[in-house]
Amino acid sequence: MITPGSKYFFGLTGLSLIAAILYMVLVNPSDLGAVALFGLASCGAVIGALALFTRDGDVYTDEEAVAANAVAGPASFWPIVFALGSAITLAGLATVSVVFILGIAVLIGGGIEWAIHNWADGASSDHEFNKFARARAIGALEYPGLAAVVLGIIAFFFSRMFLALSKESGTIFFMVVAAAIFVVGLLIAYKSFMKGAVTVIVSVLAVVALVGVGTFAALSGERKELAVAAEEDHYDISHRECGEEKSKYYDHHANNTVSMRSAVTATIFVKDGKVYAEAIGLTTKVDTITIPRSNATSVMFRNLDEKDYRLVVNLGSAKVAETGVVEKLGTCTQLTGKNQEQVMTLTIPKPATEAEPFSFTVPGAAGEIKLVVP
Amino acid sequence: MSHPDSPHSSEKAMDIVNNVKSSSHRIRNSIATIFGVVVLAGCATNAPQDTWQPKGENAQIINNLQWIVFPMAGVVGVLVFAFAAYTFWKFTDRGQPIPSQSHGKPIVEIILTIIPALILTVVGVFTFRGIFELAETKDTEMIINVTGQQWWWEYDYPAQANQGITQPIISSGQLVIPVGTKVLLRETSRDVIHSYWIPALNGKKDAVPGRINLLRLQADEPGIFAGQCTEFCGLSHANMRMEAIALSKEDFAKWVAGQQKAYTSPADGTLAKEGEGVFLNQCIRCHQVNGLKKADGTPAIAAPDENVYSGAAPNLSFFMSRNTFAGAKFDLLKKSCRSDVWDASPETIGAKYLAGVSESCLNATDLRAWLRNAPAMKPMYADPTKLVKSGGKYRGMPNLGLTETDIDKLVAYLLTLK
Repeated sequence: MITPGSKYFFGLTGLSLIAAILYMVLVNPSDLGAVALFGLASCGAVIGALALFTRDGDVYTDEEAVAANAVAGPASFWPIVFALGSAITLAGLATVSVVFILGIAVLIGGGIEWAIHNWADGASSDHEFNKFARARAIGALEYPGLAAVVLGIIAFFFSRMFLALSKESGTIFFMVVAAAIFVVGLLIAYKSFMKGAVTVIVSVLAVVALVGVGTFAALSGERKELAVAAEEDHYDISHRECGEEKSKYYDHHANNTVSMRSAVTATIFVKDGKVYAEAIGLTTKVDTITIPRSNATSVMFRNLDEKDYRLVVNLGSAKVAETGVVEKLGTCTQLTGKNQEQVMTLTIPKPATEAEPFSFTVPGAAGEIKLVVP
Repeated sequence: MSHPDSPHSSEKAMDIVNNVKSSSHRIRNSIATIFGVVVLAGCATNAPQDTWQPKGENAQIINNLQWIVFPMAGVVGVLVFAFAAYTFWKFTDRGQPIPSQSHGKPIVEIILTIIPALILTVVGVFTFRGIFELAETKDTEMIINVTGQQWWWEYDYPAQANQGITQPIISSGQLVIPVGTKVLLRETSRDVIHSYWIPALNGKKDAVPGRINLLRLQADEPGIFAGQCTEFCGLSHANMRMEAIALSKEDFAKWVAGQQKAYTSPADGTLAKEGEGVFLNQCIRCHQVNGLKKADGTPAIAAPDENVYSGAAPNLSFFMSRNTFAGAKFDLLKKSCRSDVWDASPETIGAKYLAGVSESCLNATDLRAWLRNAPAMKPMYADPTKLVKSGGKYRGMPNLGLTETDIDKLVAYLLTLK
């Protein structure tokens, strides 16, 4: 006999197949939509078959079902959670997307828990067995979900602390925290007096400290240079001034992010306020760097000076089609601190004109390196 | 239908057996012939890509290693095959009783571990020494950027005062280097992975998009050394060839001076001048000729980035100073003139190469056929119906639909580019 549950899924399968065929005939036979509808049909068929095989997951006989439903199960708070999720979701629709996403998460979590709880309540007339059935069904979801939430909370509060503390004090602070966690872990593992209530007290204190300090850090906001950098759009590529930096603060994250180190065609240095370059393969300094046309080529900029500098490439000028205004072409690295480096990757499709030769410059430093695109 | 036991049917059976025997002999003879041809091919002396004929320091390092590794590997190979053959012959099942079985012979196992370890140690020592010697770049005297794309090589020589290169030189197909000079190729690719290999001068090195790989070449004496892309790179991989031209230092200086000359437009009223017009109408879309100006006097800048998938097409500034075209697949010189250059002695090859291509020596047949319909000469994805995947850009030179008159003019113009 086809069970009621499997009927729904087989119905879904049939409708999806019809929809997929209609979609292919009327819209586009090779479109992603047809694939999605066939996927839905396949999923429906598989789940329907599983429902049929497990007799809709009913664990009781007809008599047992009557007995189970005659006895009220324990009260459940999941309907309240589900209702709360609905309220948060509606509030999120009217306010900000974060609240909406939170509401959806609560709604889904509460709904699943409620459904499993309800199903387990009707499993038998034995409450203990029902409790066991519920735990067995939901345990595989609850524990990883709970762990993810806890890790997310820890990561959130730790990140607030990282952003609020200065780089130097943050390093020391987290070294101390890591050492404390390690020591407490060792004590719990090896010392008998750390069992039971003491462990609980220590854990509660740790949670209170994490939430308290994390909340304080979050309310304090990010450290000054990060706040200023955000205000000045230093995280936005359009901010690039390609001149001497006027701001006191800038994006420190830019430093030490060199990749493709072995594939640069040349390295441009600034030292004692002067610019010079070395081409890969030559040990002597060069005053010209040649880059093949239409080929992504990387150039390294290394600052050996005390001051912070950025590398700028000047690629002539061109008239903007929309406005008719002639604008300078080029790009630059972000500011680079002492003994730090940046890579600039260029793809230049056409050579320079005699009137506007290409070049590399470092604002604030003397000298330039000619750039040739043959 | 004849009975199976009739004399007729036994004759048929004999015929079948004889036919099978005869086919078996034919197959055996064919295999022996093919094997013999392959073995004899290894004895060819006129093999331009022979790895056993080094013509430079780096190729010599590889050759020295080959002479250590190959005999050792050969002896081991012969011994293993002989032992295997003996074992197959000796222990073939002929109904004899199964010999007594034993497990574990510590002495044999130790010997069979130590001997390969010793062989590998000896090979490893020489191999690692060779690898480090080949990777040496500190004493480089000259650098050349080598860029691979489907299906040709571009060479650009950055300005290097010590070599007399005061402004960058760009060429394709033929790499020109001075003899006795440690030349470092800085290889990269514009589209897919290629591999640069001039066997007479060094081993192979991949040209990988986004990376710069280094390969050092040094030629001992003047000559022309053939090479071949050795990484499958698409439809015309087999047609992606290259040649290294080693010139004496004096001849190289002349070549450099020739490549840095200013552009001279053909005289008015000549066929070549008309050809310049055709070039400006058609070829300039992809091919650059340095110094060429449009009718309004502004520089004519090619836009291969807008038309070709790799974003580049060969620079034709001194086209007739080369001996080949289309990724070195075709000769620009007629057969007799080509032999004159390729077979020249080290003392005279420089002058003959620097003479370039004259009208009387031009291989007009192939050049005209190329201009008429390039994709028919070299398989390329230049079919407009197949351009969807490359965003409407060609992967090689398309059929431009030039008239014979246009081709006459273009050939006349190209002859002036040297």
